[in-house]
Amino acid sequence: MLKVKSPQDLGAGIMFLLIGLAGIVLGRDLDFGSARNMGPGYFPILISGFIVLIGAIVAGRSFTVEGPAIERLQLRPILMLLVALAVFSFLIKEIGVVLTSILMMVVAAYARPNVAIVETVIFAACVAAFVALVFVFGLNQPMPLWWNG
Amino acid sequence: MEMFEHLATGFVAAASLQNLLFCLIGVLLGTLIGVLPGIGPIPTLAILLPITFGLDPLSALIMMAGIYYGAQYGGSTTSILVNMPGEASSVVTCIEGHQMAKRGRAGSALATAALASFFAGCVGTVFLAAFGPLLAKIAQQFTSPDYFSLMVLGLVMAVVLAHGSLLKAVAMVLIGLLLGLVGTDINSGLTRYTFGIDGLWEGIDFLPLVLGLFGIVEIIRNLENPPGQRTPISTRLSDLWPTRSEFRLAWPAAIRGTGLGSLLGILPGGGAVLASFASYTVEKKITRQPERFGNGAIEGVAGPEAANNAAAQTSFIPLLTLGIPSNPVMAIMMGAMIIQGIQPGAAVMTARPELFWGMVASMWIGNLMLVVINLPMLGVWVKLLSVPYRFLYPAILLFCAVGVYSTSTEPFMMVLMIVFSIFGYVLMKFGCEPAPLVLGFILGPLMETNLRRSLTLSRGDPMIFLDRPISAGLLIATLLVIALIVFPQFRKTREVAFQED
Repeated sequence: MLKVKSPQDLGAGIMFLLIGLAGIVLGRDLDFGSARNMGPGYFPILISGFIVLIGAIVAGRSFTVEGPAIERLQLRPILMLLVALAVFSFLIKEIGVVLTSILMMVVAAYARPNVAIVETVIFAACVAAFVALVFVFGLNQPMPLWWNG
Repeated sequence: MEMFEHLATGFVAAASLQNLLFCLIGVLLGTLIGVLPGIGPIPTLAILLPITFGLDPLSALIMMAGIYYGAQYGGSTTSILVNMPGEASSVVTCIEGHQMAKRGRAGSALATAALASFFAGCVGTVFLAAFGPLLAKIAQQFTSPDYFSLMVLGLVMAVVLAHGSLLKAVAMVLIGLLLGLVGTDINSGLTRYTFGIDGLWEGIDFLPLVLGLFGIVEIIRNLENPPGQRTPISTRLSDLWPTRSEFRLAWPAAIRGTGLGSLLGILPGGGAVLASFASYTVEKKITRQPERFGNGAIEGVAGPEAANNAAAQTSFIPLLTLGIPSNPVMAIMMGAMIIQGIQPGAAVMTARPELFWGMVASMWIGNLMLVVINLPMLGVWVKLLSVPYRFLYPAILLFCAVGVYSTSTEPFMMVLMIVFSIFGYVLMKFGCEPAPLVLGFILGPLMETNLRRSLTLSRGDPMIFLDRPISAGLLIATLLVIALIVFPQFRKTREVAFQED
């Protein structure tokens, strides 16, 4: 029975295989052409092929060479940060950069346990003011300050 | 004395009040972010890239250069005081610098690092001014096969210098190349891998990619594995100056480091990381008291710090003359230039000399500012190390988001950043280092174009890469590098060098 000795490598290998195969499958409609007259598919398919090859080697080696285990996934940090980014992109046009920034930073703060909410809001307000000053007034970036644009 | 005329042009362009101000802001912000533990120059440049967008090209580039030097110096400060390298090139500084700090010579180590860097910066600037035009002349001889081979060499070097497994690094470069090809094919006008999304027609945007892969993943990494209690070693300004005996040991090391760094910086794939490791190895080899190394030898701070700054300077040469970034940091610089509408290459030097020479001059100014401003402000930077991470990361996240939004209000940009954050997270879990990916991403379209041109020229015969002397030489160098990796002894050195991260 095969035993996985390096879970990280197995994961990486499979990921490379998937990316390489995706490159080949999604690029199958692109004209390959020939070396003399390279089509739009030539280089990407070539690269994808190499990625598949390396993916196979890395995955294969994970059964023979000892390697580190995959660290435990922690959902909270990544989820909260991505939610914070989504909050930002949805709200910035609606309620302006100041309120959006505060809200986003409060959401982001919940990526860690034991949030001290008052402290977080005060700090977020200061940073939001700083961002508004630098980006809206200092750098003249096209973003609304408040909800009325 | 054409060189001095050129430099004068540069200083006139760079020394306007506005540019000096942006250079100063860049240096300060770069140090500010760079001093944060675990954040190296790549995430620092990525996070701060957007604030340069509103500026005119010269000011923007001057500011970016300032940020880069600031970030590097900030990284050294953190290495010396808390033994937490932000990136590979300050790993070496950690070894001796932190030992010095433990013995109560933190101030001396920091001053040595700053002065050695400044000295190296001065030499590097002259080097750049002298060899830039020379290399630009050579660059005119370069044809497509030569460019292609040069990029192959550069990518192979990037793989060798990446952390962790070589095979994974190769895969990262290739994935970068593939991602770089997304969008409209210049040759046929067909779109590739765009899934019918309008936002991908012009290719994947650089900023969401680097911010996702480096900025946001960095935050997640720190949240998942909170760095242990960091207690910066306190330092008083009165201890700042090296003693006479320390100085006597340090200056020859700084000179050797500068020479080594200047040369290694020009090589494809060279740059700060390679230079600081090489310098440390040299210092350790030639010392008469090897027992001092590992216990706070000042040569081990002066040499590598000089080397990495000199290399940081001279690694601009291939970018500015050949238009090819030699390492991931330069890839970000190139990204910044392209966003400003400048295609780096020899043409910049002739068509817009004030831009080229202005940047060269600003490098020297940036280095001067580092010494004059950072050293007295040491206390502030040290304080910054004690700001709790729970305050820092929401602010960094916000800067990433505002940065992307200020380049494009398109919601798709944010989607891209989220996608690359997730991708970067997966890479982190599987132990893949994303730095080579960025280099591949920038080089993807260039490589394809030059491969296509070469093979069209030779009617499909790959021998063209060996017929041209420049190309053949570069490919032989590539083979030598590959042979070195396969050679077990070197491989071991590489593993030892990177294991500390």
